[in-house]
Amino acid sequence: MKTGIKIALSLALLSSLSFGGEQFAMSDSDRAMYAEMLENNPADIMVAHGEELLSDMGGDAGLAKYLGVSESELPKYIAGFPRYIEKFDMVVGLGQALQAMMHDTGKKVLKLDSSDMNDMLAYTKSIANDEPINIDVNANQHMKDAYALGQITFDTKRGGRGLSCLSCHSPDVIGTILRTQPLPDLGVNNSGGTWPAYRMTKSNLTTLQGRMQGCMKNALLAVIPLGSPDIVALEVYVTDKAKGKAIAIPGLKR
Amino acid sequence: MEKVKSLIKIKPKKYKDGEVVKVSFMVMHPMETGMRKDKKTGKIVPAEYINSVKFDYNGQVITTMNVWESLSANPVFTIYMKINGAGKLTVSFTDNTGAVNETSTKIKPKG
Amino acid sequence: MQRRDFFKKLGTVVAVSAVAPMMSFAADEKKPKGPNEFSYEKAVEAITDGKGAKTSSKITLKVPEIAENGAVVPVSVTVDSPMSESDYVKAIHIFATKNNNSRCLAVHLTPANGKAMIATRVKLGGTQEVAALVEMSDGTFLTASQSVKVTIGGCG
Repeated sequence: MKTGIKIALSLALLSSLSFGGEQFAMSDSDRAMYAEMLENNPADIMVAHGEELLSDMGGDAGLAKYLGVSESELPKYIAGFPRYIEKFDMVVGLGQALQAMMHDTGKKVLKLDSSDMNDMLAYTKSIANDEPINIDVNANQHMKDAYALGQITFDTKRGGRGLSCLSCHSPDVIGTILRTQPLPDLGVNNSGGTWPAYRMTKSNLTTLQGRMQGCMKNALLAVIPLGSPDIVALEVYVTDKAKGKAIAIPGLKR
Repeated sequence: MEKVKSLIKIKPKKYKDGEVVKVSFMVMHPMETGMRKDKKTGKIVPAEYINSVKFDYNGQVITTMNVWESLSANPVFTIYMKINGAGKLTVSFTDNTGAVNETSTKIKPKG
Repeated sequence: MQRRDFFKKLGTVVAVSAVAPMMSFAADEKKPKGPNEFSYEKAVEAITDGKGAKTSSKITLKVPEIAENGAVVPVSVTVDSPMSESDYVKAIHIFATKNNNSRCLAVHLTPANGKAMIATRVKLGGTQEVAALVEMSDGTFLTASQSVKVTIGGCG
């Protein structure tokens, strides 16, 4: 019985992949219209709110000082996240770096899934806007390990349907249409540089890690917690695919 | 009551007197239709939507809007405006629950 | 599995997914009536005082042919007008013709706008026509409409 359901589900997936395209694929002019909406991204308001929250902790200057870089180096430094930070002795995402700063400066530590944290993370990443992603997955053993773990996590089939990130984002299926949307190449579409983004279907700001959790939920995979080594590793792996692409926060996604 | 978050954007950023610029007003608002059921409680979420917007440029009302619940959550309103001297653009808006808010931006034409 | 069986099954699934958007629209009609239920026909009648409006190429109504999702559908309306004191666009109304309350936005312009163009984003309860109704300063009404296919798409 269980296998029967499994087959039906994978068939459903296959069918929309191969045939959905002809019927419901969006035209280029439609896509251009959606792209134009970036000009007035509702998340701009959330980013402005994030800026206010960071300014309560000393703003850009305070953050630069905490991270041990000059304010002029800050954008470049942020464009290298997730990164290994010696004083934490681990590879961290931007959100965790902000949490550490809150902790060390005696502020209330915001949870990674709180909307204030999302706003702040988005603002902080936007400091690096127009800066090319410069994550260095060979910078040290920690980054090498994170990259390797990220790749394993990306490729490993899990859950009742036996799906992995790779099921929808491998080179052989990229570009095929799944329910009106072409399956994206996470490097080409600059996932690493366009999240946090406003999600139109949810009317909220979502981070890359949050989006990955959404993917896992929909694919019936156990959800990997925010800030865990595995999801940070996934972020490392996916961000590296977009290395060199310019950061543009906030993104706007369906 | 917490202030509703909103933002006015003018494009292009630098403009001259007499130029016609694009003005976009964005606001965080749920725009509840009064027809949606809360997934958890199963109860209808009461209607809550912006019902009017007014653009005031140096004391002159240049545009007013009637708004209904069919606009998207966190709506965006874009109009054009002819720059006619330095001063202030104020956007005020109300919603069906009686909330009244306003936000402004400086108008500084160059040259 | 035999190859033929495979495609037979595929065919069934395709049929279902093709019908799905219509089904979701039909389901919408069973929803409770909203607080501001107002049909498109009634709205046009009221605004034009029963005179109705003439379809005009002076209006450029931009909407996507296929909406990525019904919750955020970009709409822009541009009217060819000098926006002078003697000849300007007085109002632009936007309708989602099949929504429970068809009225989305009514923008009352003045010559100070300099250009008769507005843009916003609407929610569409299903595949339908989006319409613009334009009131000119001479009291005439013009209209344009465009159909938008709303699909349930994408992941999550």
